[in-house]
Amino acid sequence: MTIAALSRASTMIRVRDLQKTYYVHEKAPGLWGSIRSLVARKRIAKQAVQGVNLDVEEGEILGLVGPNGAGKTTLVKMLAGIIHPSGGDAQVLGHTPWERHNDFRRQIALIMGQKAQLWWDLPAADGFLLLKEIYRVPDERYAKNLAYLAEVLDVTKHLNVQVRRLSLGERMKMELIAALLHEPRVVFLDEPTIGLDLTAQRAIRDFLLAYREEHRPAMILTSHYMEDIERLCKRIVIIDGGEFIYDGPLERVAKTYATQKVITAHLRANVGTPIDLTAFERFGELLPAEENEVKLRVARDAVAEAAAALLAGLPVADLSIDEEDIGTIIERIFRERRVESS
Amino acid sequence: MSPRLFLQVASVEMRKRMSYRVDFWINAFVGFAAELTVAWFLWTALYAESGKSVIGGYDFDTMLVYYVFVIVFSRLVRGTEFEANVSQDIYEGGLNRYLVFPASYFGLKYAQHIGGLFPTIVQTGAFVAFWLIATGGAGGESITPTGVLMCAASLILANLLYYAMSFPLHVTAFWADNVWSLLVTLRFASNLLGGRMFPLVLFPLFLRNANEWLPFRTLFALPVEALLGRISFDAWLQGMAVGLVWLVVLAQVGRAVWRRGNLQYSGIGI
Repeated sequence: MTIAALSRASTMIRVRDLQKTYYVHEKAPGLWGSIRSLVARKRIAKQAVQGVNLDVEEGEILGLVGPNGAGKTTLVKMLAGIIHPSGGDAQVLGHTPWERHNDFRRQIALIMGQKAQLWWDLPAADGFLLLKEIYRVPDERYAKNLAYLAEVLDVTKHLNVQVRRLSLGERMKMELIAALLHEPRVVFLDEPTIGLDLTAQRAIRDFLLAYREEHRPAMILTSHYMEDIERLCKRIVIIDGGEFIYDGPLERVAKTYATQKVITAHLRANVGTPIDLTAFERFGELLPAEENEVKLRVARDAVAEAAAALLAGLPVADLSIDEEDIGTIIERIFRERRVESS
Repeated sequence: MSPRLFLQVASVEMRKRMSYRVDFWINAFVGFAAELTVAWFLWTALYAESGKSVIGGYDFDTMLVYYVFVIVFSRLVRGTEFEANVSQDIYEGGLNRYLVFPASYFGLKYAQHIGGLFPTIVQTGAFVAFWLIATGGAGGESITPTGVLMCAASLILANLLYYAMSFPLHVTAFWADNVWSLLVTLRFASNLLGGRMFPLVLFPLFLRNANEWLPFRTLFALPVEALLGRISFDAWLQGMAVGLVWLVVLAQVGRAVWRRGNLQYSGIGI
């Protein structure tokens, strides 16, 4: 597909049957293992990504969810052109990423929450000036973008402070500015809120949403914080063992995989005597709850019966029936897959 | 890579280096003083034991002058940080950042290398001036404007050549778990065969002849000999030509190893 055709279809990232196999050396433990490894080492192939397909549109934030070692970061690294795949094809803005054409690299950004991009010994402003030259951002656009980003992220007063002296939250905001100064059309975000406090996490999420509205880039976000995913992504890909096990709207995950619901009964405050809840265990699992509250996780088809039993058996003031939270559902999917594969 | 970007990267690196002011001067003075003191004791003993006033065409004062220049020039040739950077980038995944930038990795690294050299150039100027004032001249040697120009040209080539020699070794970090031993070997070989340990004239003739076709002599001996006027223009030109050929060959080797290694890169660190 040509760039023009891609633009028309507004598909910015297109992945077909992409694969990556890593080879690692294994060494037996102990002295004998070390001696043997000097002569011959065992080489093990690890399939990090196994023939995945993906399309990401302009203005879309795709959440990539999976446990450690699932292949999320490997996929991002291939799409950002850092590593070469073992097979398959990918086109980002009409370019093959790992060919690393400057025209491609000028239009993307990679933000790595666990790895600093800025120069630690320099004030952030000096690093930004360097990035301005690297990305050839015209003076006027640079000044406008820097002023805008620094103001929205509330770090204007820290621009001339050495990066190493900034707090983690301030540093992450500077990293975001560094990545977005050149107005990339595709943004890869790898754990952008890792280690940040709740206020900083929220500020970064709000900023990313505002940025998406204004610039309409395609974004791929990996995060272990479900709040990041729920707040930012309408569509998610669940990846495990290098394979996509779900690709679709976030809201459909609950419908597809949630086999249970949580009933919360709020009891009247003046219940005096201790209540025996063992009778409700036949409906499902009793969950830890607040005072004057009973929480019961039950199968979807048992919800009506369990709710009726709770209403009949307890002094209920209010009752709510909720889907399991998305994080729990995804965790369960991974857990069940582990059990199946073992 | 545009000259403007090159200068900007070099300038950032220079400012970074200058921000550690105490380390900057202590490192320079202590290293220089320690090396020169060792040379002084060693050659005092050697001249005394041999009973000769001239060894390999060098009297004691000229020998010390040789060491002063070879010590400061080797800093200009090697730089201070480049050696640790490329392989470390590969091991620790720092390379990821550079691979995303729309600019040549080689160019960015070399610009950093040059920027990091600026403080060394200042120190070199200070040391040489101090030495010349303190001792009243360059031993029995005469330093001419032509010698200074030949020396400057040699230093530029030597700097590029050392970069080209160490780059392929660093890049083997794509495969090897540790390239330290390779770098130590290069340092030792270049010290010995480049005239960093002692003047090459002290080598046996067959080794001197063979060494003329190797890249090491261009690194340290050639700039110092050119400055002190101990080499003819023709011999200097031949040394430069040999260095230039090696530079081209090693640059191609570096490029090939880099390309091959990139296929192996797993981008550890994110």
